[in-house]
Amino acid sequence: MNRIRLIICAMFILASVSYVQARIDLVTLPERDSVQLTIYNSADITLVRDSRTLTMSKGENTLQFSWANTLIDPTSIEIFANTMADKINIMELSFPPRVKDLGLWRINSEVSGRAPFEINYFTSGISWRAYYIATLSTDEKTMELEGYVRVTNNSGEDYEKAQVRVIVGTINLLEEISALAGRQYPYGSPVTQPPPAPQVRARYEEAVMEAKSQLAGSMDYMDRPKEIIKEGLSEYFLYTIEGRETIPNGWSRRLISLKQGDIPVINFYKYEEEKYGQDVIRFIAFANDKEHKLGDEPLPDGVIKAFRFVDADKYITYIGSDNTRYIPIGEKVELNMGKALDVEVEVKLVNYATKNYQFKNPGNNISGWDEEKTYEVTVSNYRDIPVKVEVTRNLPHQYFELSRKGDFGEYAGIDIDTVRFTLSLPPKAVKKFNYTVTQFEGDRRQGK
Amino acid sequence: MQLKRLIMIVLFALLACFPCLARIKLVAVPERDKASVRLDNPSATYVEEERVLLLQEGINKVDFSWRGVMIDPDSIRIRILQNPDEVILLSVSYPPDENALVWEISSSRAREEKIRIGYILRNIDHLVTYKMIADKLETKVDMQSFLVVRNFSGEDFSDAGFYPEYGDTFQNSSQHEETKQFLFFRKDPVPVEKVFTFDAGKLPWDPEEQDTNVGIPVTYVIRNDKASGLGESSLWWGKVRVFQDDGKGSTIFLGEDYAPFTPSGKKMELKIGESRDIVVTQHKMKDTRINLRHNQSNTVILYDTDETIQARIENFRDQPAILTLIEHIPGQWDMSESTHEYEKENANTVRFLISVPAQGEETVVFNYNRRNVR
Repeated sequence: MNRIRLIICAMFILASVSYVQARIDLVTLPERDSVQLTIYNSADITLVRDSRTLTMSKGENTLQFSWANTLIDPTSIEIFANTMADKINIMELSFPPRVKDLGLWRINSEVSGRAPFEINYFTSGISWRAYYIATLSTDEKTMELEGYVRVTNNSGEDYEKAQVRVIVGTINLLEEISALAGRQYPYGSPVTQPPPAPQVRARYEEAVMEAKSQLAGSMDYMDRPKEIIKEGLSEYFLYTIEGRETIPNGWSRRLISLKQGDIPVINFYKYEEEKYGQDVIRFIAFANDKEHKLGDEPLPDGVIKAFRFVDADKYITYIGSDNTRYIPIGEKVELNMGKALDVEVEVKLVNYATKNYQFKNPGNNISGWDEEKTYEVTVSNYRDIPVKVEVTRNLPHQYFELSRKGDFGEYAGIDIDTVRFTLSLPPKAVKKFNYTVTQFEGDRRQGK
Repeated sequence: MQLKRLIMIVLFALLACFPCLARIKLVAVPERDKASVRLDNPSATYVEEERVLLLQEGINKVDFSWRGVMIDPDSIRIRILQNPDEVILLSVSYPPDENALVWEISSSRAREEKIRIGYILRNIDHLVTYKMIADKLETKVDMQSFLVVRNFSGEDFSDAGFYPEYGDTFQNSSQHEETKQFLFFRKDPVPVEKVFTFDAGKLPWDPEEQDTNVGIPVTYVIRNDKASGLGESSLWWGKVRVFQDDGKGSTIFLGEDYAPFTPSGKKMELKIGESRDIVVTQHKMKDTRINLRHNQSNTVILYDTDETIQARIENFRDQPAILTLIEHIPGQWDMSESTHEYEKENANTVRFLISVPAQGEETVVFNYNRRNVR
């Protein structure tokens, strides 16, 4: 049910006539020509661009716009006379006294007849989210990735045959649109005001019944899934869904936004006690770039569910899921698939010693010493595919020396007190290495 | 609907000896001729209205009372407009327990005299809001400013003049509990500068350690000066909603911020959103004590530090970016080495302006010594 109403009144009467009278002189109830929805997901906000053809009388016209039982922010409502802006002057927008959810535009027109207008406003209650389904090949060297966009309309208003655009990006929003929509007075009041009246929302069943009847007749017929046109604007990414969508209040629509096969991936395991405890965590790594057959667009944040083809008949098994962050074009992605059972890392303290004591006068107290710890690290790959394992060790402070021997792979200092060993393991392989860290304590740190 | 709550009664001198009774016996209620509502003070709205008094020769008592509105009684002023030499305000008295005052006015003869009454009226105010539409390259904006008059004063104004601090004035009406919005100021184009800022004191250093993306704040900077086509007056504070032309006849919403009060010559900075396509990863690569000085018991009592910071800036955008990198170094210090030029903003803050090519990266490394640390 459309809850937004537009009534246009020709005002030949004197300006002093009250608005109550003006609203009775109903001339036309123009229907929507088209509507464009630009939906954000970093905040509950949708920019609605509503096109209507209105019949203007020469002289002063009053246009009434009402939005009871919707979630429209009245401070965002605007009207433009599109192509006839030089002949049609929007003089003011007023929110009359003692009437809620209603605005009146005073429009001065030099022409009479039909004129195209656009009404813009923000609404809350329409949302979208991205989510993904990834399916690894049996050898786990490649992956198929499907990205979806799901748009849900709980705005209280039906949007029929709307051009739907979704924005990927984080906007700065000072006040929630739903809070602005619920205000008793659009811009508040200088007087301390009572709390806003509770929102009157449409009954769910009614909305569903209506939606069903509308969906039946109004879907655009296509013999293929709709395409999504993608482009960058400012710091955001705009997805424009091909054609028109009807999204009745209470309903959601799912659209495919991305489908790509043969994406090379790295199976990747991490061990870091401070982050993950004693568990080894499995990651699937790839990059959002051309090398990985992606890189045309950033990937919006969303849940990714990972599966794997288990055999040639393409039966699949579920691996795990992760909330991906927003992935810019060119950035590496690491999907956290949770605890791994078939890759193990064991870190064992095998030797402990203190030495190089220093004593300070007077009193001959201990002023410094070295602490020497030797660890044995065993990395086991029980899988029948090669894997990469990162062992990250956080040290208590920066005053240390580290020596290592054995099959430790690549060694790197991450920052002043963090080091990392990166090992590549063939299928069903075990690698072992030792490292000795000498920590300098007290005065032994001097000059280090 | 008749909402006028200001009542004005002219009393002949004859009745002046019975003030209470006099206020009941209404003799003449002069209609308001013209009202002006001044919206140039952010904390109070001053209303001036003109009326014509029918004065008798001699002393006239004019009773001005109000109900249902809040008027600051000390702010009420009256000005004789036509014959100030012959029509003279003698005294003002306030009756007990009433929202009223009585002017005692003498007139040399019976006449019609135009007067102007001014007062601070509560619960009517205005807000300023802005709408800016940036071009596709984000180098300029179409700046529109709206005046929103909120009248909850209890008083109706028909055909009154509304005077904002700057921009257009309006002749309009305003009813009690009505809110009205007018476009009162527009400049197009106004140059805008887009700035990315990483403040190491505010944002996490290692985005990989975070559960969600670390957005780099994006700010639009507008200068309120002649070069920008502005600068004639201060720009008032208010909510700014920034849109961008999408090049296809529509717009997208970029974000909103409160504009601060921006005097002429100053710049307005608006944080519109965040970029997740610029990633800054900062690490401390060195932090050691040097130049140790000991006391007699060989305890270190004074030392310097040798510290190295490395900040890697990755730009995943398809456009080059200039990032303002803000670093904080406490206490006494000197920079010994830096890969990039910097500006010392204050004793403990340095600011780098780093150009990062499209889809490229830049690493800033600087080494400093904090001195005389106790």
